[in-house]
Amino acid sequence: MVYLPLANIWHHKLRSLLCALGVGISICMLVALTGLARGSLFENADRWESVGADLIVFPRGWADKIANRGVGLSEKYAKLLREKHGDLVERAAGVFCWPMKVAGQDHVVAGVAPEQWDMISGGKAIKEGRLFDPENRFAKWLDDRLLSPATDDRAVEITEADLRDPEHDGLELVIDTRLAAAAGLGVGDTLHAANHDWTIVGLAPTGVMTRIFMPLRTAQFLFGDGDVTKCTMILVKLRDGVDAGPAARTLRDALKLDVIPPKAYRVTLQEHFSIMLNYVDMVNIIALIIAFLFVMNTLYTMVLERKREIAILRSCGASGWFILRQVLGESMILAAAGVVIGVAMSFGASALIGRLKPLLTPELSFHWMLIAAGAAVLGAILSALYPAWRATRINMAEVLVYE
Amino acid sequence: MNTILQATDIHKSFGRGEARNHVLRGLNLQVRRGEFLAVMGPSGCGKSTLLHILGLMDQPDRGEVMLDGETFSRAAARPQRLRFLREKIGFVFQRFNLIGVLSGRDNVRMSLHVRGRRDDEHVEALLDQMGVSAVAHRKPGELSIGEQQRIAVARALAHRPGIVLADEPTGNLDTDNGLALLDLLRRINRRDAQTIVMITHSAEASDRADRVLRMRDGIIKAE
Ligand SMILES: Nc1ncnc2c1ncn2[C@@H]1O[C@H](COP(=O)(O)OP(=O)(O)O)[C@@H](O)[C@H]1O
Ligand SMILES: [Mg+2]
Repeated sequence: MVYLPLANIWHHKLRSLLCALGVGISICMLVALTGLARGSLFENADRWESVGADLIVFPRGWADKIANRGVGLSEKYAKLLREKHGDLVERAAGVFCWPMKVAGQDHVVAGVAPEQWDMISGGKAIKEGRLFDPENRFAKWLDDRLLSPATDDRAVEITEADLRDPEHDGLELVIDTRLAAAAGLGVGDTLHAANHDWTIVGLAPTGVMTRIFMPLRTAQFLFGDGDVTKCTMILVKLRDGVDAGPAARTLRDALKLDVIPPKAYRVTLQEHFSIMLNYVDMVNIIALIIAFLFVMNTLYTMVLERKREIAILRSCGASGWFILRQVLGESMILAAAGVVIGVAMSFGASALIGRLKPLLTPELSFHWMLIAAGAAVLGAILSALYPAWRATRINMAEVLVYE
Repeated sequence: MNTILQATDIHKSFGRGEARNHVLRGLNLQVRRGEFLAVMGPSGCGKSTLLHILGLMDQPDRGEVMLDGETFSRAAARPQRLRFLREKIGFVFQRFNLIGVLSGRDNVRMSLHVRGRRDDEHVEALLDQMGVSAVAHRKPGELSIGEQQRIAVARALAHRPGIVLADEPTGNLDTDNGLALLDLLRRINRRDAQTIVMITHSAEASDRADRVLRMRDGIIKAE
């Protein structure tokens, strides 16, 4: 089979390569950039949704904020939820959130009670090592000293050594495997953060709620403004068969607190970062436009250069459609090559990002690859149309005799 | 008389005003079906221009061309002309006009492809007859002028057109190769009753023709 578009591409190897590369780079940009923006953002939401809770209770007005932390509401609500709303609620657990800088990046630390781990982690077991303070000795020790009636009229002093006391070590951490890999930490290592030296006692699988966990009481004691009975939010697991929507409304009205399903967090994130996502999309659109112009310019000069060839086809009686097909064929092949290059490059880029910035999550979605490929093909067609139309206007006698 | 090609009162000029060059000035011509016609004339007298008009690749300013029963004037619709180019006309350009990115062989195949056909055996046979099968894998840039010319002839014949228009097809061949090509054209003309209109400078070429016409001052001189 004689296929002129392929022959032309092969004949002008360097130019074809550059053209396909131009398309490829913009596809890579589209796929990798959106992948990075959305991947890193929604990895966060994915983790929250992995929690084995149906509802999250926040102080009033907090539900549509994205980084809730610190003292928010009394732990007593957890008890209240279990006891007064036992018809709906199976479990309720307070969580105290606080930021902590590890491996050069801010993370949300979740202070959770060890007995609630199975719900917090969505049923995922510790991968390596053990859970911190499994018998909750630190909480008991602290409660004895701070919360028993006998201590009411005494100022209690608690030293660093008390915290670290092997009898009830409160400075134990569980981190997720991804942070462990990124920071080069393992079970038994010591980590200095937030003014304390912590011992890493276990690794949680990647994908759990957050990357760092500590005992609830420790978080409350260290970061809770001296009030060890408050937490940031309460995670609620509903009884089997209870509908989350109506239950959320009932609880909201009864408690006068914000009650949302973990899924809502994604929407909040999306709304909060919509400007950034718009910005990413804008950059992508500009990248695509540049790619189109690039391909169009290449095809246009190509058609001008190929006047003679097209006139020869004409002299054999080639129809406008035949000529259009030659120009279109060439641009489609270049676009297809560009798609292949672009997809390969975005895999490469994501692998590179994964190595250089292990905590970023470029999520190469098939969906965006399809969009990018579609845009490239559409662009190739659109940018070939004008040159192709020009090609069919060529005056064959003039070209064949004088050029 | 069975006329396959007739040109009536053809005028063609290039340029405007002072620079206007009135090349064809009311030229008349008739070609019989199956005829092998040679056209001679001094260089620059408009032979190529005439051949392009006869081959429907250029339009006359005035006058009309009748080809195989259909009339083409300046206003003739393009689809009609393209259909004739596909089905009835084979053209050998003075400057060959081969496609540079395709091999000699693919140039011949391409002309069939454009016409929606494919016949590799026939292409091989033609290349063989032209004596270029051994070099037909090369691109035009790697072929000698004579080889290019023979590829161009093969291309014009590939779709077995009813009428072949050849612009100095032996102009770049040495005497032996030129004669061989002429004999081949003659054979094809006899065997397949293809009409051939050939422009030539050489007396040998015109010897092979059924009839020789001479052009001068933009018209055909009386025989
Ligand atoms: N497309 C064109 N534009 C301008 N002048 C042309 C064109 N084609 C031919 N001519 C002029 O017309 C005259 C005849 O050219 P041509 O038909 O090629 O002559 P021949 O083939 O007999 O040597 C020449 O003077 C040439 O310069
Ligand atoms: Mg000439």
